[in-house]
Amino acid sequence: MRDAYVVGAGQSKYGSFPDESYRSLFETAVEHTVESVDDGINPEAIDEAYVGTLGVGGRQLGLAAPAVTEHVGISGVPVTRVENACAASGYAIRQAVMAVRSGMADVVLAGGVEVMTDLSGDAVRYWLGVSGETEWERMSGTTFAGVYAQMASAHMREHGTTAEQLSQVAVKNHENGSKNPKAHLGFSCTLEDAMNAPPVAEPLNLYHCCPTTDGAATALIVSEDVVSEYTDRPVRVAGVGAASDRVGLFQRDTYNAVPAAATAGERAYEEAGMTPEDLDFAEVHDCFAIAELMAYEDLGFCEVGAAGPYIASGATEPDGELPVNTSGGLKSKGHPIGATGAGQVVEAFDQLTGRAGDRQLDDPQVGLTHNVGGSGGAAVVHVFERADAPEGQA
Amino acid sequence: MSRGILAVGAYAPGSRVPADAFEDAWGRFDAPGIETKAVPDADEDALTMAVEAGRRALSAADRAGTGVEQLAFATTTPPLAEGDLTARLGSYLDVPADALRRTHTGSTRAGIDALLDAVGTDRTALVVASDCPEGEPDDSREHAAGAGAAAFLVGDDAPAIIGDRGSHADPRPGTRFRGRGNSDLDGLDIGTYDREAFIEPVEAAVGALDDDTVPEAVALQAPNGKLPYRTALDTDAIAAVETVSELGDTAAAGVPLSIATAFDAGHDETLAIGWGSGAGATAVRVEGTAPVEASLSAEDEIEYPAYLRRRGDIVGEKPDGGAAHVPVPTWRRAIAQRHRHESGLCPECGAVAFPPEGACPECHALVEFESVTPTLDGVVEAATTIGQGGAPPEFAEQTARQGSFGVAIVRFEAGNGEVSLPMQVVESAAVGDPVRAVPRRVYVEEGVPRYGLKALPR
Repeated sequence: MRDAYVVGAGQSKYGSFPDESYRSLFETAVEHTVESVDDGINPEAIDEAYVGTLGVGGRQLGLAAPAVTEHVGISGVPVTRVENACAASGYAIRQAVMAVRSGMADVVLAGGVEVMTDLSGDAVRYWLGVSGETEWERMSGTTFAGVYAQMASAHMREHGTTAEQLSQVAVKNHENGSKNPKAHLGFSCTLEDAMNAPPVAEPLNLYHCCPTTDGAATALIVSEDVVSEYTDRPVRVAGVGAASDRVGLFQRDTYNAVPAAATAGERAYEEAGMTPEDLDFAEVHDCFAIAELMAYEDLGFCEVGAAGPYIASGATEPDGELPVNTSGGLKSKGHPIGATGAGQVVEAFDQLTGRAGDRQLDDPQVGLTHNVGGSGGAAVVHVFERADAPEGQA
Repeated sequence: MSRGILAVGAYAPGSRVPADAFEDAWGRFDAPGIETKAVPDADEDALTMAVEAGRRALSAADRAGTGVEQLAFATTTPPLAEGDLTARLGSYLDVPADALRRTHTGSTRAGIDALLDAVGTDRTALVVASDCPEGEPDDSREHAAGAGAAAFLVGDDAPAIIGDRGSHADPRPGTRFRGRGNSDLDGLDIGTYDREAFIEPVEAAVGALDDDTVPEAVALQAPNGKLPYRTALDTDAIAAVETVSELGDTAAAGVPLSIATAFDAGHDETLAIGWGSGAGATAVRVEGTAPVEASLSAEDEIEYPAYLRRRGDIVGEKPDGGAAHVPVPTWRRAIAQRHRHESGLCPECGAVAFPPEGACPECHALVEFESVTPTLDGVVEAATTIGQGGAPPEFAEQTARQGSFGVAIVRFEAGNGEVSLPMQVVESAAVGDPVRAVPRRVYVEEGVPRYGLKALPR
């Protein structure tokens, strides 16, 4: 099986852009991706593309993937839309890795795009509900915030997690996002701000919830056979893990963890031959503050039940033992659903290649991305490592 | 063989609005003799109250809905003017699909007529009368309008027998009416004419009885708290079992609720007189009492603005629909789950699945589940409160009328196992709280009310 490498990654700015379209946002992401390839790349070299998207402005579009690739001049190659709710482009990256490893393609563009802010708030809630269990969970009156709030209630009850610890996730991620020029909500906040925000779904308040965002992100995944044509400092895809679970929270064995993410993490670590101790940083799916805390436990950053004290200890700050969400995460950087997983890969690529600007960590070698669909019906985890170009190829 | 009433169930919403609240708002209260009236929650209507009363009648008789051979629903306020609601009522109560169905409507004496109709057959019958009339905010009928439901299980060898009966009808137009397509009651309010339109048919129906002696309990129709006492009937006997002063005008459910009250108080004989505008009256003598399970007490008092809000008088239109729409046929496929939480027992591993379709959640085998119905009482496992503005748009009207609501995952016992379900909570609940599954309207989409079960904290 051939190794797969990331040789370029880029994203549009995340935010609310009435003057942009899903195509123009995707175009911007591809431009930045192409620019990030050390030795340049001709888009005609792309063999295949995978595009994650849930819907554009809540509209159901057929052929959304070729609609964006044709716009950037990628024509004639196989193009596939990938839909796994908020994990759409994390899975698009995984599809690209599979295509490269299988030998069917040497250069694959993978990413995602979403336009979410050209709708009224009511319409967005209607639309987003399609990613959950619609016949029972949603009909009990829940939005996603409500589902994650129930997870938070169970976590608090079981493990004694506190509202302050939830708020510390927001404070950390906003501080990180304030250093990210691509972030949607790139401002800092105080613990007091985060503690006293208006309630959304108890125990979650506004600062415990990510925004809805417009944006696009893409990455170029290439095979070991061609990687040296593009760079001599590639990022190797060391491990990929993915898993699924029951779509409805009520159908699962536990409400205070995301078993699909835990399984995906185990699979990614195993493939990479690594453990959580090998990580230098992680980008996790903090759609709600409780989701980041559950990710710590699901991914083995701390013991089960210890996520609250773990965030409180400062371990996941940029100068901590395992920085988490240096990009600002979904909370501050933003959450354009179909683009989010690929956007995490952009941050991993930037950190591992020294492009992360003011938020650059000190020479990180290994990073992890964790992308969750819905409340845990699908999850995908990637482990990336800084690598030299394969021997004999340079 | 003594045919009559085997058991009675009675239900009224727990919220009350006092007459004083109307007086403060309007400078007057136009429903004499009413001190408070019952107010349905924003997701309650005549159908959900009927289920509540029906459940209690079956429970009082220690019978299951599967034994019911005839189901009758009496109401002047059906949630749909056309559409057989006995199908949904029967589904909630697990009444067999081949049971005969009867709907009685269009008159406040529909409740007592439905009872007589059922007694006249040889079937085990469940008769449910449920009503929640409405009017324009400044209308006297609106000031009187209350809410409640009563259900009778009717059959052989009954402890309460329907004996002597009399009836009378005489044209009296304009006394109380509701035009086609209207939800608000109306009337011409012609003083003496209106009073006579009530008094004369009532007295004539009683006069038509073979024996017109009046017992100590008279369950008399009560459009307000004063009109019943204008008749020549014994006022103490009327007052002994009236419900109008606390629940308001419960229309077709009014006389059945008074019969329930008479049974509960142990009156061996009750004269029940239903009156309907137009006008007509039905009088029956009920001998004996039957077991009663009733929930008629007040739980909270609301102010007049909250009352208007809950009725939907000061609530805007809900937002347009969108992608998460669940089509009616999809909804109907799961009606046994919506109404009774019917779950599936895996014949391979014994796990309980909800909904009972697809692969077993435990052993993942594609099996034919055996039906198992969970208990109505459960425990909250995870919970949140959805504030106004935080609900999906299809619940926007409900939150506008009712305010915040809870959402929880509730664990119920089911057979030898357990099953956990997502439920909306009436008000709110915390992890560990005990709750009961009660019938409520989920929402109305495309003009079709959809009903399910919600969790009521106990």
